[in-house]
Amino acid sequence: MNVQFKKGVLDLCVLALTVWEDRYGYELAIAMSNKFEVAVGSVYPLLNRLTQEGFFTTYLQESPEGPPRKYYRLTPQGHSHLMALISEWRMFSVAVDELIKEGVER
Amino acid sequence: MTKERYLKELWTHLSPVPERIRRDWMFDYEEHFRLAAEHGQSEEEAAAELGDPRFIAKEMLLGHRVAEAQSSGGSLRSVSRAVFAAVGLGFFNLVFVLGPYIALMGLLFALWAVSVALVLAAFPILYEGYFGDAFEFQFAIFAAMITVGLGLLLGATAYKLTRGFLRLTLKYLQANTRMLKGRKV
Repeated sequence: MNVQFKKGVLDLCVLALTVWEDRYGYELAIAMSNKFEVAVGSVYPLLNRLTQEGFFTTYLQESPEGPPRKYYRLTPQGHSHLMALISEWRMFSVAVDELIKEGVER
Repeated sequence: MTKERYLKELWTHLSPVPERIRRDWMFDYEEHFRLAAEHGQSEEEAAAELGDPRFIAKEMLLGHRVAEAQSSGGSLRSVSRAVFAAVGLGFFNLVFVLGPYIALMGLLFALWAVSVALVLAAFPILYEGYFGDAFEFQFAIFAAMITVGLGLLLGATAYKLTRGFLRLTLKYLQANTRMLKGRKV
């Protein structure tokens, strides 16, 4: 996928993955890299930044198989940020679709 | 690169960050190596996938500095540290970020200096008016009031400009950290 496209939406996607359940870093990294061909390594700095901006809190939790894992939980602030990003994305994608229909698929 | 070397390098490059935070950040990477191994990846593969530890450390450090600067309400010291962290990242061209930053800082400093000088100028004026015979004391009081007034006015302006400038710098850095994160995808 085009790099310019991805830039803006990575925040949105990683926040979206944590709405219903807290997830650990590896899980998020794999989920993101499967969908977007994103380097796994770029997901951790992303998580780090979103945490520093107050959109995630983290905690350690024992896992059944082995040492504890670090989980990411969406904060209320993160939630409202996500909602803002989603509405922005919707507007954007609707506009793009309209232009495609108008310009290409007439 | 082996897991041990990777983690050690990351740890070393994160040294400006307090140890408690550093441990927390490192946890993601330790966990990644552990889980990657469980999924049958070699340490070298996992390390390659994660990317250069030096680079990652710098990115996180910049994020940390920007967050720090923001929580301190954009103080001169914290914003300057964030600017230097950004320049240290190497993508920011020294000329394009540090140059204008220092130039504008110099300008603001000059404004401050002028405002302080105007206030201080009141003293010799009063002194001259009282002891000297260049002009009357009444005139001296009047002139001193004018310079103090101008100085304070200029000081207030300089204060506002400085705050605004620091805030803008921070905004700029933030926008850029955001861009950097997306860059490697």
